Parts: sequence; C-alpha cells; structure tokens
Amino acid sequence: MIKQRPLILLTPVKPEMVGSLNELLDKVKAAMQSGTESEFAKLSTVHYARWVILSRDSFRDEPAIPVPVRLIFSSNYDGNEESHLDDLVTSLEKYIDAVYECCEDYPAPGNRNTESRKKYLRQWRIGTSAFFVGAPGRSLKQIRQENSLREHIWKFVTNTTWDGKSSREIHQSIRNEVDSNPEFAWSKEKVKVPGIKWLPLIGYGLLVIAVLPLMIIWILYIFLFHELRDRYKPTTLSQIPDKLVNKLEKDEDLFPQNQFTQVVVMKPGMVRQLNFRIWMLRTGVLASYMFVKGKLLNIPTIHFARWVLFDNKKHVLFFSNFDGSWQQYLSDFIDQSGWGLSGIFSNTVNFPPTRFMVTGGAYDEEHFLAWSRSTQIPTNVWYSAYPRLSIKNIINNTRIRNELRDDLNEKQAQLFLKRI
Amino acid sequence: MQLELSEIQAYLVNDYTDMACSKYYLLQVINTANAKKFIANMAGAVTPIEAGLRDTRLHFGFTSSGLKAIGLTEKNLNSFTREFREGMVTPHRQRLLADFDNSDPDRWQWGGPHNDRVDIIFMVFGKDATTADNYFDSLSEKIGSAFKIVHVLKGNSLPNNREPFGFRDGISQPAIIGSGITSGNNNDIKAGEFLMGYRNEYDIYPDTALLHEPQGDASLLKDDEGGSGLKDIGRNGTYFVLRQLEQNVDGFWNFLKEKTKDSGVDNKEESIKLAAKMMGRWPSGAALVNHPDKDPGGDNTDNDFNYSKDDELGHKCPIGAHIRRVNPRDHFEETGPAGSLKLTRRHRLIRRIRSYGEPFVSSPENHKPPGEIGLLFGCFNADISRQFEFIQYTWANYPKFKRLYADPDPFVGVRDNPLPGQEQNFTIPTETVNKTITGLQNFVNVKGGAYFFFPSISALKFLGTI
Repeated sequence: MIKQRPLILLTPVKPEMVGSLNELLDKVKAAMQSGTESEFAKLSTVHYARWVILSRDSFRDEPAIPVPVRLIFSSNYDGNEESHLDDLVTSLEKYIDAVYECCEDYPAPGNRNTESRKKYLRQWRIGTSAFFVGAPGRSLKQIRQENSLREHIWKFVTNTTWDGKSSREIHQSIRNEVDSNPEFAWSKEKVKVPGIKWLPLIGYGLLVIAVLPLMIIWILYIFLFHELRDRYKPTTLSQIPDKLVNKLEKDEDLFPQNQFTQVVVMKPGMVRQLNFRIWMLRTGVLASYMFVKGKLLNIPTIHFARWVLFDNKKHVLFFSNFDGSWQQYLSDFIDQSGWGLSGIFSNTVNFPPTRFMVTGGAYDEEHFLAWSRSTQIPTNVWYSAYPRLSIKNIINNTRIRNELRDDLNEKQAQLFLKRI
Repeated sequence: MQLELSEIQAYLVNDYTDMACSKYYLLQVINTANAKKFIANMAGAVTPIEAGLRDTRLHFGFTSSGLKAIGLTEKNLNSFTREFREGMVTPHRQRLLADFDNSDPDRWQWGGPHNDRVDIIFMVFGKDATTADNYFDSLSEKIGSAFKIVHVLKGNSLPNNREPFGFRDGISQPAIIGSGITSGNNNDIKAGEFLMGYRNEYDIYPDTALLHEPQGDASLLKDDEGGSGLKDIGRNGTYFVLRQLEQNVDGFWNFLKEKTKDSGVDNKEESIKLAAKMMGRWPSGAALVNHPDKDPGGDNTDNDFNYSKDDELGHKCPIGAHIRRVNPRDHFEETGPAGSLKLTRRHRLIRRIRSYGEPFVSSPENHKPPGEIGLLFGCFNADISRQFEFIQYTWANYPKFKRLYADPDPFVGVRDNPLPGQEQNFTIPTETVNKTITGLQNFVNVKGGAYFFFPSISALKFLGTI
C-alpha cells in the first residue's frame, strides 16, 4: 500500500518580480479553468497541487513578525519525496523554471538540471504539523483505474437485461465480464484498504487517561487566564470586504470540487503555542489511525487537509481539497465537528470566543463563517488530478473492486449492486 | 419565544390559497421623494400576521437597488447580506443556481442584465381578479407618481393544489415556532431561520441589517438582539427569493413516455410511475415511501414519513428523487436519524408557489398547454446562502449528492447543454441492479428572478423616513 504525503515549499519572491509572478500564475490558472492547460496532467504522482502567493495583504490580522512576499507550493503526492521532486522538475519543467525564476536564488539558466532544480526546491521545504488523507493508501493510478473499472461495470450493467436474475448471479456475470477484459487484469487482486488501527489508538487513549488530571488543570488554566481575557473583534459575513469574497468566488464551483487556503496568526505566548501543538498531535494521531475511511471528524467530503505551523511558529496555514461548495464545507465543520476546529483555531487571533476550548467558537455559526471567509486567501493556481470524483466515489470504487472478488451472499450482492 | 406578530408581513406564515389571484408589480423608483412618501403611507396597509380576514392583501419588498434608490446610505446598505446586495445575477451565483442555456439571465424577461432594473416588488392579492385589480387601481395614481411599472407577474393559487407537471405541491412546509402554527414531523423550525432578530437552528442570531450610521427616524427601530448596540433594520424582516420557472410540460411527458415505451407503445402507467420516482411522490401527493407501488389517488397531504428506517436503500423513493434531495429528512449516512433531522432543519425554506399562465395541470393524456405556463416560485429564508442557494446547489444541482456519481435533481438540476463528458442520469435502486435513466433533459427554464428584503411594518415606516 502506498502512502500519500504532503509537500510544502515556502520560497521568497524577488520583490521586483511579484507582479510578473502574479501574471504568470494568472495565465496558468486561466488555462486550467478553460481546460486548455496540459502540463499538470503529465504528473504521475500528484493528486492535488497549488501555488499561492503569500504577502502581508494575505493576513487579515497583524502578522506576528514582518513577512516578505513568498510563494507557497503545496502538493499531495504518492510515494517518496525524491521521486515526487523528480516528477515535478521533469513533468512540470516548463512552469518550474518560469515560476522560480521570479524567486530568490534560482539557478542561472546555464546551471539548471534535474539535480540543481530539485536541490533548489528542497531547500524551501517546511514541515507539516498535521495531515489528513480522505482515501488513504490509494495512489493516483489506483484511483484512476478503479474509476474506469466502475464506469465499465456501470455501462455493462445498464446495457444488459437482467430480468429474473438474482443479485448473486448478476455479481458473477459482472465478474466474468471484467475477467474477459485484459484491460482490467489488475483488478483480479483485491487491494488492501487501511482500517482503524486500534493499538496506537488504545495507546493514545491510555495516555489521555494518564494525563487526565493534568489536562483538566490545563483546560481550566486556559479558561481562566486566556479564554476569559482574549480580545475578539466580531465580524459578520456581510462585513467582509467585497473585493476578497468576489476574488475567492471567481474560482469557486467551476466543477464539483473546491479548495481552501487560509492563513492565521497565532495568539502570543508559550501557552497558546503548546496548546496548539497538543491539538495538532491529537489531530495527527486521529487522522492517521482513526479517520482512515474517508471522513475527517465525520465530514465525508475532504480529499486532503493539512495544518502548517510556520514563521517561527507564529503563523498557521490551513489547506484543504474538498467536494461541494464553500458553504457546504464550512457548514459540515460546524454540524459535524465544531469542537475539533475550535480546539485548534482557538489558539489563533480573533477566532470566535470559545469556552474550555470546545464550546462556542465554531458553533457560533455566523461569526465562525465570517472568520473562515475573512482569513481565507486566494489560491493562484490549483490543480486537481480528478476534479469530477468525490471522495465518496473514490472510496466506493475501491469497495466495488474488492467486493467483485468476494464470494457474496444474496443480501451482500444486493448491496454490491447498489454501489454501481 | 413569542414573535412580534403585528410587525411581520403575513405572507411569511400564510400561503393565501384563498386568494385566487395575485399580482406582483415589479417597480422602479422614478421619484425618490414620492416613493418614500408612498412607502410611509402604505406601511400601515401591509398585511401583518395579526390581521383578520380581508378580501385583499398587500405586501412589499425591496431589492438592494431599491433600497439604494430610496436613499439608504452605502454604509447602511452594506450591512445587508452579500447575497441580497449582489442580487441573483452574478457569475458565481449563475454557477450555484445553474442558470445556464435556456435559463441564462441574458434571456430573462425581468431581473436580468438586459432588463429594466427592479427596485420594489409590490404584491397585491385578491379573492378574485377583479378585487385585486380594483385594489391596485385605487392606488395607481400614487404609484405612478413614484414608480415605473417594469413588469407584472400575474399568479393564481394552484388549481386543486397541483403544479403544471401534475403533482400536488406545497405539502411539506416548515412552520415557524412562535407563529401560532405548528406542523410536526421535524417541520417546526426556530424563527431565526426565517426572521431576523430571533435565534435560529444554531441557537444564534442570524446576520441582520443594522443601522451603522444615523439616517431617518431611528426611533422606529428596535435595538439589535445580537448586542451590537445598533438599531436593527432587519428585525422581523426576512428575505424573499422569487424565480419565474417556465415548465415545458409537453417535453416532460414526451420524455417520460419515450423512456417507458413498451415494445414501441406508450405505457401510461409506467410513465406516471417514472415521474413519481423522479418526484418522490405520486401526482396525488402520496409519498412513495408509504405507497411504493401505486397511487392511492384522491388528494393526499401525506407528510408523516422518514427514510432511514423505512427506505434506507431507496427501493421505494430513490435517493436522487426531488423531494428526497431538497428535504432529506432523517437520512444522512454520517449522522444517524436524529443528527440528520437536525441538519435538515438548518436548510429549510418556506415556499410560496403561484402558477402563471392559463391554469393547466398536465397528465400523460393531456400535455399540450394553451401557451407558456409555469410557477412563480417564491420562498422565504433568513440566510439566502445557507438556505435557498445551499438547497439549490448542494442538494439539487450537485451530481455527487450522497453517493451518486452523475445525478442532478431530475426536475430542477438538469442542464440543457451538459459540459463535455458530463452525463446526467437518474438512478432508481431496485432489489437487484440499479435502473438508470440516462440522458436526462431539462424541462424547467428560469425566466426571471430576484432577491428581495421583506421588511417589518416598522422598518417600512422607517424606510419612508430616510
């Protein structure tokens, strides 16, 4: 089973090149949105990628430290970092040179080769604090293969008359049909799907119980000395600058998926710092061992999400790739897991007030939505390798592939046929 | 929580089936001073919830250009929600609402970029056409001195409660807690979902329009319940979405007959059954969950049903059926029945449907209407983005609804010209293989639309003083 990983590069832009970089990325975006862009499709390891220009203006609240203009590259890829960088600098050579020429210290034209480009990119790499994968273990290749299998089966089933056949018989016919097709030879083997890993979860649970008294003191301490004293300037959705929202909406709902990039400022002090890290650890543990079946905190629409603490731990970036509209995505967070987000983001400036880290906050729907929208930043270029597949489709496709090989009883076969 | 009934426009809680005739006058302000005078004078004539029986009823609302035209300052106007301020026609909203091709705002009869600006909707209801007309005529001089009539939408209460495709309409309707009306089965909804100034289903106050800078007689307004210390223009007010939906009933029944032909011969029963599968109810209104095999007939306002226990797999009512999408009740995989009901309550609309054109209810035998017919689809909500637009995009248009792959709402989500490679299907789960109706066609065209603010009686008086 392959592992999907996050890469994030934070590269300073030459101040005099900010304008050209913006123009260049705008052109790529326009081509992407009109369907005429063809370079990204050459990438064989990349599920999602984006470029974002991060400047002082990206921050809604005063940054904790001065921020130069930087270019963020973020990707979700299969396998190891070396081969991913290889893939980037070879498949995307055209863009990599043009884009990073606008950045500090890019190798001069005479010194450019695969190695020097990779070395350049590698030096800007920063760490990811917590990472969620909606369909863990599925490589890009697998996702594409399984979707073509499902489409094939769907066509076969839809164009055949099944009068009087039982679900088991139909299941068998589908298997025979697929087996008669050499194109799908790969599907004869079932594929492993990650399950919930109980051992680390139990370990984590025991740890939580062991430190419970400490935790209670910690929560009370934060309540008394932080939550009660934090200042908050309420914003409502109607009060967010039109310019920002219009810019964001311009790129939204062009197809069934959307992306979200957000930058926020940490509240000052060690306590908030430590608290954020505890929540990151918790999110990381749960994302790796528990949320492995397509749902992050019960939200069934997220392909990838990640949190990145950077700038000397003063600022936080959040990225996600999801199905459906912004309104649905954020509503899901409130409806399904407001407490999870509150715990994390209550450590950042101007988040709607929380109590004991989990009440208030995201449950204050109006102010939470306004907080999300006003701290969201435009993404300059966004690439999705499978823009027309929902995470539910992807998970379902793997189930179809595996159940095709199972010996099913009538009831199970019936449920199998429902998936198609 | 008791509602301030004397302040709220009654169309929000009463669907006026007893008012056979309605006329929506779409007005443009031509004389600001006269317009304000008119508004101040008419505020007392608008029908509040508390009003007794009358032969006529009057309501009105404003588009954002209307508020601007009567002189609401930019800063105060900016405290209204973005959806309302921007109106129904923006490139992004066009995608959310799927207003493309035959529904493109460029082709609209009103409300579109090529039509005259609409500032105000002035709604007159009468027990019959003469009563409504007489009432309007008594006001026409004053209206003429302040406004130009841009367009008139004549509507009727639905014949026998049937919409033009032939189905009983308006069965599941939310009731506002505190309004004196109750509905049951998850339909009793907190006031803040439909009115500003009250708590909503998140137990918070919805974004309301506040008086950010002094203007007019602010003493007519009450303080913001949200605690900002500002006066609240939105309190007891709501937003009204209006869309004129032309229905191609001939195309609809021809499509269904084509899809259900039995060795080349029309099969009337099967075509009705397919229509019912797409709707989730039979023409009588009977729910498929309760009557999966055939229409019990008569008039049915069957609303006492849910999905998770009785029809989880959609064998009776398909997952992609219209009523199962726009009101998913207790069935989301993620949340379980109680959580699903709660989630559903956060995305509801109070619908106000009138038919336009010659009253006509189609059927497999008779689907050639005398001219253009359709619905004036209206709905009230306090948060246009989370309610109307969410339901239209996320639940109706979105082809990936739940676990589906390429299924838009068969009635209101199908595009005339799908994108390259985009299929539009309707999946009917059966005991064995799913049956798929491929190549769905669109039979509902948007002909006009706008978002209106429906102020309270006091806010109307206030708007007359700015």
